[in-house]
Amino acid sequence: MRQRLVRLGVLLLFVAVTGAAFAQSGSQLRFCLHSEPKTLNPVLMADESSETVRYLTGGVLMRLNRLTQQLEPELATSWKVSEEGKTISFKLRAGVHFSDGTAFSADDVAYTMQQLMDPALHSPTGDSFRSAEGKVITKVEAKDRVTVIFPAPVVGLDKLFDQVAIMSASSPKKEMAVLGPYYVAENKAGSYLLLKRNPNYWKHDAAGVQLPYINSVRLDIQQNRDVEMLRLVRGEIDFINAVDPEYFDKLAAQAPGTVTEAGVSLDSEQMWFNQVASSPLPAYKKAWFTSTNFRRAISNSINREDLARVVFRGHAQPAVSWVSPANKVWFNAKLQPHAFDQKAALQMLANDGFRLQNGVLRDREGHAVEFSIITNAGNKYRERMATMIQQDLAGIGIRLNVVTLDFPSLIERITRTFDYEASLLGLVNNDLDPNSQMNVWLSSAEQHQWNPEQKTPATTWEAEIDKLMRAQASTLDQKKRKQAVDRVQEIVWQQEPFIYLVNKNAMSAVSKNLRNAHPVVLRPQVYWNIDQLSLGSEVAQNR
Amino acid sequence: MKVARITALAFLVVVSAACLFADFVAPAPYARQFRDVPDAAPSHQHLLGTDSLGRDRFSRVLYGTRVSLLLAPAAALLASILAALIGGTAGFVGGWLERCVMAATDLFLSLPWLFLLITVRALLPLNTAPFTSVLITFALLGCLGWAAAARVICADARTFCQSDFILRARASGSGGFRLLWRHIVPNLKPVLYAQFWIAVPVFILAEANLGALGLGVAEPLPSWGSLLRELESFSPLSSQPWQFVPLVLLIAVVSCFHLAMKKQELSV
Amino acid sequence: MPELLMNAQPVLSLRLSASYPGRPAVLRDLALDVRPREILGLVGQSGCGKSTMALAILKLLFLKGGKMSGSIQFNGRDLLPLKEKEMRGLRGKEIALVSQSPISSLNPALRIRTQMEEAWNIHRRTTREECTRAVLGALESVSLPADETFLRQYPAQLSVGQAQRVLIAMAVLHRPPLLIADEPTSALDIIIQSEVLELFSSLSRKLGMSILYISHDLLSVAKISHRVAVMSQGEIVECRKTAELFTNPLHAYTRKLIAALPVAPAFSSGETLVYPEHATMIAGAELKTPNLTM
Ligand SMILES: Nc1ncnc2c1ncn2[C@@H]1O[C@H](COP(=O)(O)OP(=O)(O)O)[C@@H](O)[C@H]1O
Ligand SMILES: [Mg+2]
Repeated sequence: MRQRLVRLGVLLLFVAVTGAAFAQSGSQLRFCLHSEPKTLNPVLMADESSETVRYLTGGVLMRLNRLTQQLEPELATSWKVSEEGKTISFKLRAGVHFSDGTAFSADDVAYTMQQLMDPALHSPTGDSFRSAEGKVITKVEAKDRVTVIFPAPVVGLDKLFDQVAIMSASSPKKEMAVLGPYYVAENKAGSYLLLKRNPNYWKHDAAGVQLPYINSVRLDIQQNRDVEMLRLVRGEIDFINAVDPEYFDKLAAQAPGTVTEAGVSLDSEQMWFNQVASSPLPAYKKAWFTSTNFRRAISNSINREDLARVVFRGHAQPAVSWVSPANKVWFNAKLQPHAFDQKAALQMLANDGFRLQNGVLRDREGHAVEFSIITNAGNKYRERMATMIQQDLAGIGIRLNVVTLDFPSLIERITRTFDYEASLLGLVNNDLDPNSQMNVWLSSAEQHQWNPEQKTPATTWEAEIDKLMRAQASTLDQKKRKQAVDRVQEIVWQQEPFIYLVNKNAMSAVSKNLRNAHPVVLRPQVYWNIDQLSLGSEVAQNR
Repeated sequence: MKVARITALAFLVVVSAACLFADFVAPAPYARQFRDVPDAAPSHQHLLGTDSLGRDRFSRVLYGTRVSLLLAPAAALLASILAALIGGTAGFVGGWLERCVMAATDLFLSLPWLFLLITVRALLPLNTAPFTSVLITFALLGCLGWAAAARVICADARTFCQSDFILRARASGSGGFRLLWRHIVPNLKPVLYAQFWIAVPVFILAEANLGALGLGVAEPLPSWGSLLRELESFSPLSSQPWQFVPLVLLIAVVSCFHLAMKKQELSV
Repeated sequence: MPELLMNAQPVLSLRLSASYPGRPAVLRDLALDVRPREILGLVGQSGCGKSTMALAILKLLFLKGGKMSGSIQFNGRDLLPLKEKEMRGLRGKEIALVSQSPISSLNPALRIRTQMEEAWNIHRRTTREECTRAVLGALESVSLPADETFLRQYPAQLSVGQAQRVLIAMAVLHRPPLLIADEPTSALDIIIQSEVLELFSSLSRKLGMSILYISHDLLSVAKISHRVAVMSQGEIVECRKTAELFTNPLHAYTRKLIAALPVAPAFSSGETLVYPEHATMIAGAELKTPNLTM
């Protein structure tokens, strides 16, 4: 009898849900892509638009919760990393079906791994799993158990699976059969993509209602940010993932309540001096730039608070070191941004024999201190930062020439000819794990911008960074890793090969109609919880 | 008509004087950043408000006008003289020389200038003082801007060469460069004036565009170009109409020059 | 003296052939002598090559793409082998040209003063005062107002007659021994035409220069010329004293020309005549207005 009642309840609920589904048939989420997705095959995706589609359609074994920055189970109910990161075993969720009705099993994971690691496909996602030469073996142990074995340990292995959308091994629809909340229903090249809710999506909310709430997602391809902003104001789209400070303020004035600031992001803006020994700079300038005192004096003479306040209109924070405070796990909380202190700066310069004469700083040999800073033309925030730094450095008698270059010539100078003195650029960062920055911090690395591809470390502190970065890469012990990374942050803070200026804030604009949106700093800022989002109407119906 | 001319002249005199004595007229140094009041609206401290770094816009307009008002016409003059000499000679001599020069001009016009200018920037030493950088920019514009005008002038010179008065001048013993200079160039004057007045605003805008490419006026020196670039980010959403002052000033100055010129000098 | 002039060495003695590319020859071994102080009229229908000849004498035919050969004896010197630079020294100074369309022959961009001074300065290095004096003198000699207001004008501000006089003034600026007038009156109305004709004969007298007066209009030619040459098909078919030509035309073409005249010609008035035979003819003509028939 009781069982019957429960069944009846379930039935009633089912009716209610289907009723709700009918009611929400009109609900559509709309936002803009800034370019056309280059591919819809999840293993080949590398561009931002494709990744958006993958995030909305792909089912993954586990998902990095963008708010808590912790991994959460999805298609895998549990997993275990062993052998120092060489092996990972998954236990899979049962009773899950692809959007076309095919059942999900361990074979699909094996197929996905095979595709991902297929050398012929050159999967950009697969590249992050390639730690050494050799084959990746996937063992299907049962319908719901699968183990993947890599030839060498992969650092931060589990988090990488956030990027791996599981493809069906058997579906005739190939990559168009998906496990995520939506599937691609329509793709009008150059114009828009229409995604419809996956009727077989496995997730339900606490009340047992099948997710996602919103029936369809329309992605309009729109390059022009002004138009995008106007469309938001007119209510034609529901959110903008990332807005820059100027647009933020305009929107705040025009459509108050739509803009939200999620806090400081992982992106940083920094400057550095050319320390390449073979560069065509005069010897006395090389001596300045390789001096820690000189670099720290420059750093102390820059008013980071002003940069954040004036250039970014307050939507940035003074930066500390190479890990942003937004990175909850890895940021070294003991460090503080360098204070603006020109007196201390002059003191440090005096230690190196510099002196201020008639408002001009001169080195020991009498050379007036003048150098140029190059940045990419067209980026007004960087141009403004450079102009403010120019003014700041004038305060300690340094003449700074701001030179804006087109991007190719800039890259040419900083990577090939090394014919530059200082450079101001930014780093867009998507990855929380510091291991992704190995290519910057190893002295032998190509992207070791201030003095790349060294045979042996030029300085003792660079040697120490090399040692620490390698150490953190070769262990799974989180505590040891954290210690090493903290120490590297400290060294960078002391030596300032990169003078970190600001970390930009993550800002989004979200229409008031969109419920349950909690924009965060990590990408995708607004729709990271896509299956939880709803548009006013159908929430009312569901309640 | 006369009133208009005098008004225009007076306006030009006032503008030029204000720019020449900018050191005394300007309320603040053009590079000084009032960091507490970026993007401020006009007030009695900042007559035209401040720019995104808090620099007094009125002072920047004064200094920027000085730079542009001096250099843009100078560059336009250089371009016009080159156009007159090259186009005039080609049209005057005719024959294979004309064909060669016109082919060269076509080539010149079709060259990827952006690319070349970028190369030029790459060749310049990085530590160039802002003013030198402006000077180089305008000199480049002047040296490169002659081609389009030269085409027009060449065609004109050719028609003049076949005209009766040139035949008469030859019949009275004139010839060679003297004929070109004394008889043809005076007739090219209206075209040259026109080309000159087209070139002035074009160069001002070109300088602004080059700034976007990293070639041109370097911070913190202002110019009409860099002031106009402020309008790039202008949006009706956060209207700051006083940002248009440099643009209005540019239009006013150019049209006042037109008005102030003697009518004969322009039309004959 | 007239006899002397008749027998004197000619100022200009031509034997010319000329052609434009891709066309039959325009001048065919044309022979013509211009004697000192005489006004030689040259008539021929439009397109027969008169202007071509005028340009050929100045060696400017190349401007129109034409080629020439033969000889141009000017004061005993052959001009044909001369270099362009030497020719420039001659043009305007020794041989001047007054052309057909007065307004378009003046530089529209220059004031009258500038143009005239330029015409002077090409050949002379003098002080400004001398230059001004020469310019004013030339203007006076063509009965134009020799004052500042006139000199400040642009060609567009002149009447056609004034413009033609300015051209003549410029042509006589250097008192050249030879003046070629290529249809100087065809653009002018009747009254001004006769004034200009009068001007030519008086200038020739005053300055003692020879004038090669080209026209398609036999009547005006007859008015001032001492001799008339008739040109047809690139050749001079007949060249004789004016009265003789009218009274006794030899060539069929000449007869045709005379027959086509609406009225009888009035010959140039008495004292201007240099040749005695001519003088009697004129006297008779004035009395009887001979009705010339064939
Ligand atoms: N530039 C030229 N090129 C070719 N033919 C020409 C040119 N100028 C004149 N002609 C021809 O030469 C002939 C003589 O012309 P022209 O000397 O001007 O005659 P006229 O002055 O007697 O009227 C005409 O048949 C004319 O068509
Ligand atoms: Mg003719």
